[in-house]
Amino acid sequence: MTEMATREGAADESPAAPSQVSGVRIRRSTRSSRLAIAPALIVLAVLAYLPFLFAQDTTNTMVNFFILLVLGMTWNVLAGYAGLVSVGQQAFLGAGAYSVLWLAQQGMDPLAALPVAAVFCGVVAIPVSWLVFRLRGGYFAIGTWAVAEVFALVTIRSSALGGGTGTNLPGLDGYDPVTLGALTYWAALAIAVLTLLGSYLMLRSRVGLALTAVRDDDHAAEGVGVRPAGAKRVVYLLAAIGAGAAGGVLAISQLNVQADNVYGVQWAAYMIFVVLIGGIGTLEGPIIGTIVFFILQQTLASHGAWYLILVGLVAVVMALWSPRGLWGIAERFGVHLFPVGYRVVHPEESQS
Amino acid sequence: MTTERLLELDAVSKRFGRVVVADGLSFGVRQGETLGIVGPNGAGKTSLFGMISGDLRVDTGDIRLSGTSLTSLSTARRVRSGVVRTHQVPRPFTGMTVFENVLVAAQQGGGLRASHAVDRTLEVIEETGLAEHANVVSGRLGLLSRKRLEVARALACGPRLLLLDEVAGGLTDPEVDTLVSIVRGVNARGVTVLWIEHVVRALVSTVDRLVCLALGSLVAEGKPSEVLARPEVKQIFLGTGAAVDEAPGGLP
Ligand SMILES: Nc1ncnc2c1ncn2[C@@H]1O[C@H](COP(=O)(O)OP(=O)(O)OP(=O)(O)O)[C@@H](O)[C@H]1O
Ligand SMILES: [Mg+2]
Repeated sequence: MTEMATREGAADESPAAPSQVSGVRIRRSTRSSRLAIAPALIVLAVLAYLPFLFAQDTTNTMVNFFILLVLGMTWNVLAGYAGLVSVGQQAFLGAGAYSVLWLAQQGMDPLAALPVAAVFCGVVAIPVSWLVFRLRGGYFAIGTWAVAEVFALVTIRSSALGGGTGTNLPGLDGYDPVTLGALTYWAALAIAVLTLLGSYLMLRSRVGLALTAVRDDDHAAEGVGVRPAGAKRVVYLLAAIGAGAAGGVLAISQLNVQADNVYGVQWAAYMIFVVLIGGIGTLEGPIIGTIVFFILQQTLASHGAWYLILVGLVAVVMALWSPRGLWGIAERFGVHLFPVGYRVVHPEESQS
Repeated sequence: MTTERLLELDAVSKRFGRVVVADGLSFGVRQGETLGIVGPNGAGKTSLFGMISGDLRVDTGDIRLSGTSLTSLSTARRVRSGVVRTHQVPRPFTGMTVFENVLVAAQQGGGLRASHAVDRTLEVIEETGLAEHANVVSGRLGLLSRKRLEVARALACGPRLLLLDEVAGGLTDPEVDTLVSIVRGVNARGVTVLWIEHVVRALVSTVDRLVCLALGSLVAEGKPSEVLARPEVKQIFLGTGAAVDEAPGGLP
């Protein structure tokens, strides 16, 4: 094992060449992350193969899982790194769903409409950011929620989009249900993987390090030359694109779009919950959080109010016991699956 | 003289409600100079740094760097033009390692890319004596290391004007000596230094010139020994230089 680690230290993946400063190297990976690569690929392969193994209600459940995962991951970067505590990401979820609906009504294949809807949400997020970025803290949170409500109100005025009662998504009659279920599942999986990969690469980059500084102390970050406003806007746009794509998948998986559902504030509650229990400000946190949330939901949903009480209780216990969530506990043992940090390795200790 | 002025304060005034922190302050700092700033608690020293660095807006007056007005620029813009401060109460990025703390400064404030930023970071960490803590998460550092990190981060930005706010407060005598030699080394590379310090011993052995502030006004200005000998300065510090020396490094 030691031998292997030494070799990996020598064949470092770091973009930085060995420094002129006494042969010191900078390592970006950790042992746990290197060990995790193979299992991660296996999990991905199994997930991709899932529609061939299970009935459609399993894949439908997994679609909901991926939607929540995407929302959790994007909200984590928003709130956990950029300090943008939005409770209005459902604005883009809804906008994504309705974009797919509208494009399908114009004759476009709903699945092909997904990327268009996602990009549209990114574009819409630009003027919205001019508005809400004038607000700070609690006002920002309320402001984003208000924007989502305005989006919903504007949408239900359009009878072509189904008004308040919603309407069915056209353009999917050509697919047989099993194929459609599998395609929807793969679309959701692809969006989740892209979101994870995108967040990971973003956080490993210069912008990511600057955002991490902003996460810890935005004022001090400005004092070392970081321009938080620019970095925050980038994150806001990317999060809108992610939420828009998730909304598009939601529309396709439900075969129906209804304003109260896609613009509902319960989505904000779900995202916040999965991020807080999983661990805010870490990439792994929202993944763990979404898994926990889904297990709770699947096992307790039939118990009605008890389910909500238990979910609330879990959130409170986590907040008190481990403010950095479940992943915060894992990190205490030095486990990092998505290492975004830097490690200085001196030549004589490269096996550490 | 005026041609080689790096920093110029022109009738700068600032108040918080009834508290006056700058009352028509005017003075200049020459390129390459080391200027010490002393004054009692609440004199407005830290606020002055805030106004120079952009954290605080001036009420009236102007602050110029090489003749260009800074007052309308953001903090980040001022950092990129070479004005960098440290914080009296250290503000590390607590979830990031020492290396990462300094690297982000080298990349953003210093405008360096890829391996250049890494090299600057390693040099600065070495220079400030933080090499053995490079991989330590900065939230776990003690006060001395946190103060060093403040200096390291500021240096990584490649400053022309370095604003040090009580970096020696709370340190032991040998630690102060180390710090003094770091500051001297930085100044020897041509960086202009403004240094607020209650540890007068450190200042006297380092600075070319000393100013004394009280209630937002300049009380005295000149050679360190001369300024400290002035009766009005002595009176402010309620006695002799010895009393000055034991004034707290001050976590408010
Ligand atoms: N943001 C603020 N709002 C209101 N009052 C402030 C603010 N910042 C500073 N003050 C007040 O302004 C005065 C000057 O504060 P400042 O921190 O500049 O003093 P200082 O000379 O650095 O003191 P010390 O030696 O204790 O560090 C103090 O009375 C302080 O309470
Ligand atoms: Mg002060």
